[in-house]
Amino acid sequence: MKRTLALTAAFLSVALATQQAQAWSLKEAAAPYAGTTITGIFLDRPGYKAADTLIPQFEKETGIKVKTEVVPYESTNQRYVLDFTSGGGTDLVLSDVVWIGQFADAGWMAPLDKFYNDPKLADPALNLKGFFPVLLDSFGTWNKKVYGLPFDNYSGLMYYNKCALKQAGFAGPPKTWNELLTKYGPKLTGNGKYAFALQSRRGETQSADSFMRTLWLSGGSLIDPKTFEPTLASAASQKGLQFRQDLLKFMPPGVVDQDHNEVVAAFNNGTVPIITEWSAFYPTITDPKQSKIGLNCLGVTTEPLGSAGLKPALGGFSLGVNPNSDAKKQAAAYLFIQWITSEKNAKAYVQAGGVSGRQAVYKDPAIRSKFLYVDPMVKSWSAGTAVPAFRPRFAEWPQISQIVAENGTKIMLGQLSTAAGAKVIDDQVKAILDKAGYYSGKKAKLQ
Amino acid sequence: MTTQQNSAAAIRSADQLAVLRARRGSTVKTALHGVGLIVVLFGTLFPFLWMVLTSFKTGAQITATPPLVFFEGTLDHYRTILGDQYNVGQSLITSLIVSVSATALAVLLGTPAAYALARFEFKRKDDLWFWFISNRFMSPVVIILPVYLLASQLKLIGNPGLLIAMYLTFSIPVVVWICTDQFRSIPRELDEAAMVDGASPAFIFLRIALPLALPGVVVSSILSFIFSWNELLFALFLTRGSGVTAPVKATSFLSGYDVPWGEIMATGTLIVLPVIIFSLLVSRHLVQGLTMGAIK
Amino acid sequence: MHTQKRLTPFFFLAPAVVILALVGIYPLVFAAWVSLHNYLLAQPNIPHDFVWLSNYLTVIRDSSFWGSIGRTLFYLAVALPLEIVLGLAIAFMLRRGRWAHLRGFARVMLVIPLAMTPVVTGLIGRLIFNQQFGVVNYVQTSLSSNKIGTEWLGNPTLAFVTILVLEIWQWTPFAALIFLSGLTAVPAEVEEAATLETRSFWVMLRSIQLPFLLPALTAILILRTADILKQFDMVYTLTSGGPGSSTELINLYITRIGLRGAFDQGVASAQALLMLVLTTVLSRLYIRYLYKGDNA
Repeated sequence: MKRTLALTAAFLSVALATQQAQAWSLKEAAAPYAGTTITGIFLDRPGYKAADTLIPQFEKETGIKVKTEVVPYESTNQRYVLDFTSGGGTDLVLSDVVWIGQFADAGWMAPLDKFYNDPKLADPALNLKGFFPVLLDSFGTWNKKVYGLPFDNYSGLMYYNKCALKQAGFAGPPKTWNELLTKYGPKLTGNGKYAFALQSRRGETQSADSFMRTLWLSGGSLIDPKTFEPTLASAASQKGLQFRQDLLKFMPPGVVDQDHNEVVAAFNNGTVPIITEWSAFYPTITDPKQSKIGLNCLGVTTEPLGSAGLKPALGGFSLGVNPNSDAKKQAAAYLFIQWITSEKNAKAYVQAGGVSGRQAVYKDPAIRSKFLYVDPMVKSWSAGTAVPAFRPRFAEWPQISQIVAENGTKIMLGQLSTAAGAKVIDDQVKAILDKAGYYSGKKAKLQ
Repeated sequence: MTTQQNSAAAIRSADQLAVLRARRGSTVKTALHGVGLIVVLFGTLFPFLWMVLTSFKTGAQITATPPLVFFEGTLDHYRTILGDQYNVGQSLITSLIVSVSATALAVLLGTPAAYALARFEFKRKDDLWFWFISNRFMSPVVIILPVYLLASQLKLIGNPGLLIAMYLTFSIPVVVWICTDQFRSIPRELDEAAMVDGASPAFIFLRIALPLALPGVVVSSILSFIFSWNELLFALFLTRGSGVTAPVKATSFLSGYDVPWGEIMATGTLIVLPVIIFSLLVSRHLVQGLTMGAIK
Repeated sequence: MHTQKRLTPFFFLAPAVVILALVGIYPLVFAAWVSLHNYLLAQPNIPHDFVWLSNYLTVIRDSSFWGSIGRTLFYLAVALPLEIVLGLAIAFMLRRGRWAHLRGFARVMLVIPLAMTPVVTGLIGRLIFNQQFGVVNYVQTSLSSNKIGTEWLGNPTLAFVTILVLEIWQWTPFAALIFLSGLTAVPAEVEEAATLETRSFWVMLRSIQLPFLLPALTAILILRTADILKQFDMVYTLTSGGPGSSTELINLYITRIGLRGAFDQGVASAQALLMLVLTTVLSRLYIRYLYKGDNA
C-alpha cells in the first residue's frame, strides 16, 4: 500500500514536472518577480558590453530590472570581499575562475541546484552539459557543486601579424615557445619593434598571464598537485622562469608595467607582431577604430607548444547568486543568469562581441567563418588539451597571487634571481597553505 | 689734500666703473630673471593646461605623435562623463556636500575648542593641544581598517555621514591649529572689559572674540574644504556605487581594456577646475593660512 | 560661581574632543585589538584567535615592510630638500626686480599646483609620461638621437624618479609662496642699510633674511613631512606601487596587506600602529624643536 502510494507520488511528480516543462516560459517564470531590480558588477570588457546590448530584451520580457556597475578588474575582488563581509553585496555574483574556491568556502555564492531543480525556475532547455565541460567545472563548480554558470570565457590564444611575419621571411607563426625565442625573437626585434610582448603588470596579470604561463610551458608548476608542496625550485619551474628572462630581450622594455590594454595596443599599432592574449580581445583587435591590423593581416591560433605540449592559459568568469540577497532577488538573479548564458542566446551574445561557453554555437559555420578565434579556442578548451588547474582555484589563491605578483615582477626586473625569487614565493606559499590546514589534513586538497 | 682728492677721484671713477659693469651685468641678469620667470610659469602651468587641452581632443588626437597643440576640439568626452553611464556630475555633488559639511562641522566644533586653548588655563593644556594637532599627522591608513570593520558591522558603508565624520579627523585639527593662534593674537583686555560688564563666556566668545578671529576662521575653512575635496583614501573604501566622491570616480576609469584618456582628463578638469578657481579667488588667504598652519 | 568658571573651558572643548575621540581614538583602540588577533577578512571561516604579538613579529621580520618604510624615508629625503631649495630660488625670483606684471601673474598661478587634486596629478602623470604618445618622450626623442621613448613607468628607477618629479612639481610652489610671505616681512630699511655693507647674496641671506625665513622653513618642514609620510593618492593613480614594488610607499603597502589578497587585518593593523608610533615620535620632535622652539 505504502509502496504504491510512493510510486504514484513519484509518477505524479514526474508527470507534473513534464507538464510544467512544456508550459515553461520565461515570462511566466518571471511573473512573480516583475518589478524587482537586481544588481551586479560588470567589467569594462567586450563580453560585458555584449551583455549590455542583450539586457533590455530580458528586462522587457520579464519586467525585472538589471542594474550593473562597472568596476575595474583589479578592484573587483577587493570590492566583493568588502561587500560580502559587511553582509551586503550585489545580487549577481561575478566570480573569476580563481575566486570560486574563496567565494564557495566563505558562503558568498549560493549553490545553484536549488534553482535549477525548481521546476518553476528551471528552463527545460538549460542543458548544463551544453557548456564546455572545462568551463563549467573550472569557473562554476567547487567541490562537485555548481555555483555559477560560465559567462565571460577566455582561452589564451596566439595573435600574430601575418604581414609583419611575412616581411621578415616567416611563412607562419612560431610553433613552439623555443622557436619564438631562438628564431622569431632575434629577427623581429630592432628599430623600435619587438618580436613579442607578454602582459606582466603586477596583479592578476602578472600571476596568470605571465608567471603561470611560463611555468606551464616548461612543465613546471606552483605546487605539487598531490602533496601541495611548493615546487618553484624544481628544475622544470626554474627552466620556465629562466625562459621568461631570456625572452625579455625580445619584448618592449616597459613590459613589466604593461597590462592587457598596453600589450594589445602595441599589437594593434604594429609595434609587436606576436602576442599571447585572451580570446576576449578579438573584438578590440579587429575593431578598425582601435587597430591598424586589417583582417587580412591578422592570424589567430593556439598558443605555442611548450616542452609539455599545448598548455593554453585558461581564464574567465561565471555568474552566480548572492545567498544574502532576499529570496525574490535570488530567484530573479537566477533567471537572468540562466537566460544570458542560455544556448538560445549564445549566437546573439557572440555576434555582439561576447565569448559564449556553449559548445553548440561554435558548430555554426557562419560563426566559425566570421570569427577567426573560434577554432583555436574550441581546440584549447577541448578535453585532453584544456588545463583546468592552470591556476589553483582554492580560497588561498588571491593571497598567493599577491605574493606571486610582487616577486614575479621583481624577478623580471632582475631585482631577484629566479632561484631567490622562487624561494621567497615557496616559503610564503608553504606558510599560507600550512596555516590553512592542507598539510595537517584539516582541509581537503582541492584546487 | 691732493692725495685725498686723488684717491677720492679714483674712488669715484671706480664707482662709475662698477656701476657701468653692474648695469651691463644687470641687463644680462634682468634677461635671465625674465627667462627664469617664464620657465617657472610654464612648468607650473603645463600639466594643468595639458590636461584641459587633452580633454577636448578626440581619441586619435590624444595618441597622435607628435602631440597636437592645435586641433579641432570636441565636447564629446564631457558629454560622455556627464551622461548616465559615468555620472560624474553626481560624484561632484557628493564631493561638494561632503566637503562643505565637514568644513562647517569642523568650524562649529573647532573654534570653541581653539578659543578655550587660547584663553583659559587648565592642566595638561599643552598635551591636549598636541593631541589635536597630532591628528593632522596621522595617516588615514592607521584608522581606515578598523573604521571599515566597525562601519560595516553598523551598516554605515556608503553613508555620506560616515565620510563627513572621518574628514573631521583632519579638518578639526586644521581649525584648532590656526584659530588658537588667531585667538591668542586678540588683546586680552577686550575679553576682560566685557567680563567686568558681566558678559558670559559664551557671549564673549561669540560676540567679541569670534568676529575678531574671522580671518583665521576663513583660512582654516578654505584649507579644510580643499583637503576634503581632494581626499581619496577614506572615500575609496567608505563610499559605494552612485555615492562615490569625484576623486574615487576618477580612479575608476583605469579599468578596461582600453584607457579612455579623453574621459579621464575631462573628469580631472571638472574635479580640479572649481578648486582652482576658488583657490585663485582666495589665493592671498590660502598662502596665509598655510603659513599660519605652522608658524605663529 | 567658581566651579562654573572652572568648567567653562570644559564646555568649550568637550564637543570637539568627544567627536575627535570617537572618530580618531575609538578606531585606534579597535585596531590595537585586531592587531593581536588572527584576522583574515577574506576567509570568514577561520576563527579570530588571539595570537599575542605574532602579528608584530611577522611585521618585524617582513623585509617588504621595511623596504617600503625605507623607500618612503628616501622619498622624503630627496623631495623635501629639493622643494626647499627650488622654492627659495623661486621666492627670490618673484620678490623684486623688473617684470612686475610677470612676477605678479606667476605669484597667482603658483596656487594652481597646491589646489590640484593629487589623484588627478597622478592621472596627468600617466598621460604625459606615457611611453608611446607622452609629451615628455616626444620632447626627449626630438632632442636626442635615441628615437625610442623612455619607459618612464616601466623601469624601477625611472618610475621612482617620476613620482618624485610630480611630488616636486606639486609642492615646490607651496614652499615658494611660504618663503615669499616670509621675505615680505624683512624690513626694507634694514635690507637697504645692509646693501651698503655687502653685495654678496649669501651674506645677505645668512645675516639679514634668514631670521625671517626660518619660520617659513619650519612650516614647510612640518607640513610636508606629515603629508609625504601620508602620501597615497598620487602614487596610487600613477603607478599603484609598481613596477615590482619600486614605488610602493608605506601607505600603499599597508593597504595592500590589509585590503587585498587575504585581507590580513591583524598584520596590517600591527603595521599601521607601528607607523603611527613613528609619525607621532617624528611630529613630537618636530613640534618641540621647531615650532615651540620659536615661541619659547
